[in-house]
Amino acid sequence: MQLTDKEQAILDGESGEGAQKAMELVVALGKIYRADGLVDITSAHLSGASYKTIGDGGLKYLEDMVAGGAKVSVNSTLNPIGMDRERWSEMHISESFAVKQNRIVELYGMMGIQKTCSCTPYVGPNVPKLGDHVAWAESSALSFVNSMIGARTNREGGPGALAAAILGKTANYGLHKTENRKPTVIIEADIGDSLFEHSLLGQAVGMRVGGGIPYYRGIKPGIEEGKTMAAAMAAAGAVAMFHVEGVTPEASNYDISELEVIHIGKDELKDAYEKVNTVDDVELIALGCPHLTEKEIHEIASLLKGRKKKGDTEIWFCTSKAIRDRCADDVKILEEFGPVLADTCMVVAPIEGTFSRTGTNSCKAGNYLPTLCSQKAMCRDIVDLMKVIS
Amino acid sequence: MILQGRTISRGKAVGEVIKLEEPLSFLGGVDGATGELRVEKEGNVADRVLVFPRGKGSTVGSFVMYDLMVHGKAPFAVINSSAETIVATGAVISSIPMIDSVDVDLLHDGDKVIVDADRGTVDIIDVNVIECSSSVLMIGDRFLMLHRPSTARSYPGRWSLVSGKMEDGESPEDTARREIMEETGIMVGESSGTMDALIVRENDVIWKVHPFIFTVPDGTVPRINSENTEYRLCSIDDLDGLELVPLTKDAIVKLTGMI
Repeated sequence: MQLTDKEQAILDGESGEGAQKAMELVVALGKIYRADGLVDITSAHLSGASYKTIGDGGLKYLEDMVAGGAKVSVNSTLNPIGMDRERWSEMHISESFAVKQNRIVELYGMMGIQKTCSCTPYVGPNVPKLGDHVAWAESSALSFVNSMIGARTNREGGPGALAAAILGKTANYGLHKTENRKPTVIIEADIGDSLFEHSLLGQAVGMRVGGGIPYYRGIKPGIEEGKTMAAAMAAAGAVAMFHVEGVTPEASNYDISELEVIHIGKDELKDAYEKVNTVDDVELIALGCPHLTEKEIHEIASLLKGRKKKGDTEIWFCTSKAIRDRCADDVKILEEFGPVLADTCMVVAPIEGTFSRTGTNSCKAGNYLPTLCSQKAMCRDIVDLMKVIS
Repeated sequence: MILQGRTISRGKAVGEVIKLEEPLSFLGGVDGATGELRVEKEGNVADRVLVFPRGKGSTVGSFVMYDLMVHGKAPFAVINSSAETIVATGAVISSIPMIDSVDVDLLHDGDKVIVDADRGTVDIIDVNVIECSSSVLMIGDRFLMLHRPSTARSYPGRWSLVSGKMEDGESPEDTARREIMEETGIMVGESSGTMDALIVRENDVIWKVHPFIFTVPDGTVPRINSENTEYRLCSIDDLDGLELVPLTKDAIVKLTGMI
């Protein structure tokens, strides 16, 4: 791995211990993936924000980083945390959890990271451009920016992305290089227009292509569809990038004439559906995996307007604080049914202490609710889920 | 015996090896507050040189390693065959020296080792390194395999090439020729090929094996001495049913490919 004189000097400690540690980590990860050097980045997005996932070890790590004077040098955002920072008691969160969670956000803030905690930073505070090199964690978000925007990132982990944000550099390998961004398989999609079918499509493709780069035909995803597909593909497989004919910016750059073609239609969606559904009645319905956009909030409000809450099933609507603030009228309608929670979601919140069966319209959540939250999961179209509570 | 690996996380350590045969997830596999292992093997990673093939599992494992460091229960060093991001990240952020690209089969529980992760080396002390030669003897298109007696001191009951220890002042190829003469009564000339030495661990001994290949005319008859109980002339396919000395087949494939 080739380092410039300046990079080597940082590794040798000439810019202080914090920068040295960051460089040591970026170089170590680069070696593992046989990077040829480092590349300058324009932004970072960090995972490892929920106290539930990083625990006391992670909290102490952040304390020590801040004590060492660590500061990010590029625009950096944070993944969802384990609770709404104001409304955590409505989520059945304990006070001791809340104190530690708030401290984690505060520490990230002290390092210069934006305290909006969202898995969809690309709709607001952190929007890379075509061709930008970035260092993003959060599997759904990094796949979205690779694919729908044409920015370039690998699947970074929390501390690795933080180190990259401090240095403004990450290791140059994998999806930072044009030759590694070409499609590996063609997906002929024969599905309907609903968001849920796009999520199932992502699930079906993730289950089949693992870490490949699918090239889609037959769909025209917008932000919401791209978001839910990216999330499902990353959770069901390890897809970090996809192309869509006529939609994504790099789709026409590659010769795809030799690629295998996989057809995904009704039967394949049914298999995907069965994979993520393990229960038929639930105690909690949680929407917003990844975080709800303004458009989705508006659509949910249209479905619920004029209806009344029924039954005992709780419902959470998860989004970022910025979007919640922007949708005041729609939020008022949603609040009649359940809390509109900011900066958190059902996967990173400690819901396992309160619930055991959770419903969602996200196949990503359908994969993770059983493993990370000990839940039985029910994945349905949003229209069907709204019938449960209204 | 110094093994050369690759720096993942810098630093130096001296300590005793605790070895896991399976990939390790720090999340669930090690208690972050006490260092106790929660895998099949019992033990504690604190103040040991922790050796395992590679990491696996949740990325939170990196923070479990940090937790160990905070509690003073971190391993002195980590050695992997192939590093992956979770353990590498944990080692760097927790300032635990770490190297990879080391053949972990050469390290055993209880070995005392000096890890210099700045240079990427691990030095196994108190281990006996013995150099030897091991020869593929081609007789026509077959090669000679020898069966060691059950009383042999190394690899009893296994099938091997023609092998023996180097004596003082001897070159590896001289050893090879001498051993072939002693064990088969056959005199050979120049070797037809050789390869880098192989390193094999057997209990407290590390064998540094110099492999050679020699060819003699079809029909030459070996007369084996008391060091072996039986011989066979084999092709590669004949090896499948035989219990071999480690790395024998690899050496045969590579050396026969040279002639």
